[in-house]
Amino acid sequence: MGQKTPQIYSVELNGAKDMKQTDKGDDKDKYRGLWSTCLELRKNHHKEHVTKEIDLDDHKLSNKELENKYHTNIVTGLSSTQAAELLARDGPNALSPPQETPEIIKFLKQMVGGFSILLWVGAILCWIAYGIQFSNDKSSSLDNVYLGTVLALVVILTGIFAYYQEAKSTNIMASFSKMIPQQALVIRDSEKKIIPAEQLVVGDIVEIKGGDQIPADIRLLFAQGCKVDNSSLTGESEPQPRSCEFTHDNPLETKNIGFYSTTCLEGTATGMVINTGDRTIIGHIASLASGVGNEKTPIATEIEHFVHIVAGVAISIGVLFFIIAVSMKYRVLDSIIFLIGIIVANVPEGLLATVTVTLSLTAKRMAKKNCLVKNLEAVETLGSTSIICSDKTGTLTQNRMTVAHLWFDNQIFMADTSEDHFKQTFDQSSGTWASLSKIITLCNRAEFRPGQERVPIMKRVVVGDASETALLKFSEVVLGDVMEIRKRNHKVAEIPFNSTNKFQLSIHKTDDPTDKRFLMVMKGAPEKILEKCSTIMVNGQEQPLDQSTAEAFYTAYMELGGLGERVLGFCHLYLSADEFPETYSFDVDAMNFPMSNLCFVGLLSMIDPPRSTVPDAITKCRSAGIKVIMVTGDHPITAKAIAKSVGIISANSETVEDIAKRLNIAVEQVNKQDAKAVVVTGMELKDMSEDQLDEVLTSYPEIVFARTSPQQKLIIVEGCQRQDAVVAVTGDGVNDSPALKKADIGIAMGIAGSDAAKNAADMVLLDDNFASIVTGVEEGRLIFDNLKKTIAYTLTKNIAELCPFLIYIIVGVPLPLGTITILFIDLGTDIVPSIALAYEKAESDIMNRKPRHKKKDRLVNKPLAVYSYLHIGLMQSLGAFLVYFTVYAQEGFRPSTLINLRVEWEKDFVNNLEDSYGQEWTRYQRKYLEWTGYTAFFIGIMIQQIADLIIRKTRKNSIFQQGLFRNKVIWVGIASQIIIALILSYGLGSITALNFTMLRPQYWFVAVPHAFLIWVYDEVRKLFIRLYPGSWWDKNMYY
Amino acid sequence: MRRQLRSRRAPVFPHSYRYRLDDQDEVNQNYLADEEEEAEEEARVMVVHNLEEEEEEDEVKEEEEKNEEEGQGQPTSNTWWRKLQIMNEYLWDPEKRMSLARTGLILVIYFFFYASLAAVITLCMYTLFLTIGPYMPTFTERVKPPGVMIRPFAHSLNFNFNVSEPDTWQHYVISLNGFLQGYNDSLQEEMNIDCPPGQYFIQDGNEDEDKKACQFKRSFLKNCSGLEDPTFGYSTGQPCILLKMNRIVGFRPELGDPVKVSCKVQRGDENDIRSINYYPESASFDLRYYPYYGKMTHVNYTSPLVAMHFTDVVKNQAVPVQCQLKGKGIINDVINDRFVGRIIFTLNIET
Repeated sequence: MGQKTPQIYSVELNGAKDMKQTDKGDDKDKYRGLWSTCLELRKNHHKEHVTKEIDLDDHKLSNKELENKYHTNIVTGLSSTQAAELLARDGPNALSPPQETPEIIKFLKQMVGGFSILLWVGAILCWIAYGIQFSNDKSSSLDNVYLGTVLALVVILTGIFAYYQEAKSTNIMASFSKMIPQQALVIRDSEKKIIPAEQLVVGDIVEIKGGDQIPADIRLLFAQGCKVDNSSLTGESEPQPRSCEFTHDNPLETKNIGFYSTTCLEGTATGMVINTGDRTIIGHIASLASGVGNEKTPIATEIEHFVHIVAGVAISIGVLFFIIAVSMKYRVLDSIIFLIGIIVANVPEGLLATVTVTLSLTAKRMAKKNCLVKNLEAVETLGSTSIICSDKTGTLTQNRMTVAHLWFDNQIFMADTSEDHFKQTFDQSSGTWASLSKIITLCNRAEFRPGQERVPIMKRVVVGDASETALLKFSEVVLGDVMEIRKRNHKVAEIPFNSTNKFQLSIHKTDDPTDKRFLMVMKGAPEKILEKCSTIMVNGQEQPLDQSTAEAFYTAYMELGGLGERVLGFCHLYLSADEFPETYSFDVDAMNFPMSNLCFVGLLSMIDPPRSTVPDAITKCRSAGIKVIMVTGDHPITAKAIAKSVGIISANSETVEDIAKRLNIAVEQVNKQDAKAVVVTGMELKDMSEDQLDEVLTSYPEIVFARTSPQQKLIIVEGCQRQDAVVAVTGDGVNDSPALKKADIGIAMGIAGSDAAKNAADMVLLDDNFASIVTGVEEGRLIFDNLKKTIAYTLTKNIAELCPFLIYIIVGVPLPLGTITILFIDLGTDIVPSIALAYEKAESDIMNRKPRHKKKDRLVNKPLAVYSYLHIGLMQSLGAFLVYFTVYAQEGFRPSTLINLRVEWEKDFVNNLEDSYGQEWTRYQRKYLEWTGYTAFFIGIMIQQIADLIIRKTRKNSIFQQGLFRNKVIWVGIASQIIIALILSYGLGSITALNFTMLRPQYWFVAVPHAFLIWVYDEVRKLFIRLYPGSWWDKNMYY
Repeated sequence: MRRQLRSRRAPVFPHSYRYRLDDQDEVNQNYLADEEEEAEEEARVMVVHNLEEEEEEDEVKEEEEKNEEEGQGQPTSNTWWRKLQIMNEYLWDPEKRMSLARTGLILVIYFFFYASLAAVITLCMYTLFLTIGPYMPTFTERVKPPGVMIRPFAHSLNFNFNVSEPDTWQHYVISLNGFLQGYNDSLQEEMNIDCPPGQYFIQDGNEDEDKKACQFKRSFLKNCSGLEDPTFGYSTGQPCILLKMNRIVGFRPELGDPVKVSCKVQRGDENDIRSINYYPESASFDLRYYPYYGKMTHVNYTSPLVAMHFTDVVKNQAVPVQCQLKGKGIINDVINDRFVGRIIFTLNIET
């Protein structure tokens, strides 16, 4: 208990300085760069307040000097006018929010990102084409203007949609930052006032009490029993006492400074504000975080990659056919129009919107599972995570001390540590237990807050420190109403725990009315307690404490200590009624009672137990190929014990030290390759070079970092990223925010997390539970798979949309599919189905495979592109062409007639074009037939896209294994396709601008056999993949 | 080849494995470049294979590099030989039995795939042709109601000519003469039969039987036949314009009511055209020319004509004329299609 704060905790603001020292070589400059960027940033914000380093010396000054320095008075405070002046000079006492990209820039980015540029080019080409036409012929048709406008509209609408989606997901986060405005009790004009903390200025005298958040950096002038929780700043989980004495040169170490945004846990204090807003220590760190660049998310890279592929295909085919068209003696103007058609056919206009919707659907699903995703793209990042650097306290553990083991009667008993059902099963019949339970109950100052009778014991709020709380709850569960027992055993004297005596003692009247003796109960550090004892209780009988029992005690003590548990010893003594009559007055200062020859009763050990869901989650991670690294500020032994109990260090793996101990050899002699696990302390980490860290990270599968400062997390994260890993980092403190930002996905704790951490993170765990991360990983992986399916589905029809143009140019048939019609496929019939694929269940256990390699397992890979374009895409085109040829042939134009008919077909003055039967067609009749052809081709694609949708449900399994009806949304998608097509053909068939006509019902079924063919072909593909894993077929056909 | 060389040399560097990974990544970006990746994979396989040899080769390679460093130094015959070897190995690596053969395999597989696709589409088209009769189109609703065209027609519906300058109207005459060659009385009498007027010329029998066609003699057009006035009235400022209804298989005007033609000024003063003579005088398409049985069997079918002789048109002024078909089942007012059941042209006759 009360371990002395070790060196490594002494985090100054020089996290970056530390790094400078530890890092050698190139990275030196990097960090310096980071540091200076941070300074630079600050320079821009507050030019007049640039300080190269924090040279805080206020803690060294006396009260008088302080008063002079800040022109204030400790008793009367600042005057209101002074305060107003200072407020005007320094600005409000709030952290300036991270620089936001202006909304208009965000909007414009959506307008030019992805395929938008390509479509803009298309639109502009349309207008240029019209311009040329118009200059030649004033009466030229407005078709190109319409098309250009439609394309521009498509870009703008999808841009607005993406912007809206992004804004929506950002809004979720905005709710976090809108917290209840903080208040501060300040003395101004000799009066105590409550003002919003934002209005504090330097020199203000503020009063704080237990439970308050410290409203600015303050120098304490007066403190009484004041303890603060600095964990968000330094990572220390122990409450830190605060007084007004200057105890350390380092401002972060000295006791007379309280820091902005830390919490005062108990006691009261008065302090003078010495820094406000961004000039506070927290402010410095926050700006450090904003200096760490945000990495591009893996899915963003993937989508960019995909856009590049599609744009590349579009442009190269477009240019190729432009050249072909020109060399085939088409007019340049026509060639430009072909180019537009090819671009429009190739660009999946609706896809990016679909991806956004898909991601936000998953984000919603994850939010239900307590993972709130801030940045939509982070949804997938979590899925590709290969290393999770997790906190211990609160994330892996329950964040509360719980009794874990008991030792009495020379036996170790185990207590139940699970969260909810608190059923103790150890042997409670022994007389020793009766005595021990009495000590536990009586020698305890913690109390339940009143009015919680209905709350389950484990959830009740307790006033008292962590171990006392644990003991109180433990005894309440085992014995029943503790308060009643205490009442019956009236307390007559008490010495509270302090770190010098390391024990706590109280003297009670017994509840046995016949027994007039006083009972003295005592608990404390086991060795200290044992020193005071001469007997030991075994099976309810007092026995002299001999060598063997003492040894047994030490064995038990070491064993429990080795489990990383906090061990307490318990002893008691009945004071003889003769020596201490009922009226005896105990004086705790004079200690007028015996302090030796007590009777030792037992040991009890406590630990912050792991959450019961965590071991499972870790096992899942392991089978999912994710390495879980524990990074904690806690003691290595505790860290290791927890790591072992949750499975971060698996049961049969040993550290170098373990092996050394087992074989009884020196640590240096151990073959390092035998050790699977390693515990690295912050001290060791500090002395490690980058290469050494890399070696540690690569050579041990199970790693625990203990006693690390939050700044060192950044180093660890970077180390992991050097291994090409996608790193997820959990964190809650302000100091974690640089690491959270640096990580590929930063996960902040929703309950324990500070705002700064939540701001820097990509995701917030609402229940602080590690297991939620694992569900998140599962969702992320699923969405990656499903996005693949969506993209494969969408890319397929691109060929079916492209082929008409190519055939039109080369063979000269009347245009089979119009540009507007293509847009109706891309943005009409195909939208719902491609979203529906996001609801597809996983094909196999996705948590049983390795995380995808950032650079090798691409979203759109060669097999996907080849299979979609050259296999299914081509089959689809053939099917659609069949519908097209059927329509034309049945209306009088047999395919042989169609070849090279294009020129005559498109001449406006030819109004008696002969078909295969000698019939003569006017231009408009032909045009109408052409639109019928568009509709037919459209229906052909639509019907086959239904088959495509069904085959895309799985990539490897048969559809029948997956279940045709499990994903109901797919059927909604299919229904939407058919309904939209019906509406377009029969509802809007009379609107000529849309180029749809009413199609004879039988044409709807022409492509159905082809649809079945596609299905069968894909089933065969999947069958071969399943039959011959690893074969050539598998490698080239599995996407 | 160049890429391959690079990765082959890679193991010389300390972090050979890394380098190879990088190379692969590069390739991964380049999906569609099949061949290249093939080559790359090939190279990688070999790298693993030849690790033992690698050490011996190191010296040579260092030399090679030196050469390169010295500003594209002359490649020795040795390096050329090596390159040739690599090339050879690429083509056929006896140990791995993998090489061009694999590319070949891919080609074969794709060949079969596309061949079967071609077979499927051929089958489909064949079935399609089975369902479509060669003599009669399956549907005719898109080509109905009939459109109208006029002769002479030369890319324009504006008749601008100066009576006194034969050059301005000579091409109309030539065009009409050419068009009417097929209507020469001798030809018609030779090829076609004279069928009774005023009733449909229905020819029952099998679809594939040749059908007979009714005569439409040039002489039916009287003054516009070009027989009496070889300039079709253009020389006198009284132009003849022939109107033809588009052929539609199976089209029959409503019973007993032949389609008539009537022309008038489309916009402006109706008196701009004071008189029009129609030939045949009924200004109609006689029923005997219907129905049409399609060009496969109704080979000599001659489309009936109606000639409009604009005998008295205002001169020196553009006169828009609209000629409409009239009759039951005829539509002549479709907004979008200005050639269905009507035709609009302008006459601008200068004197």
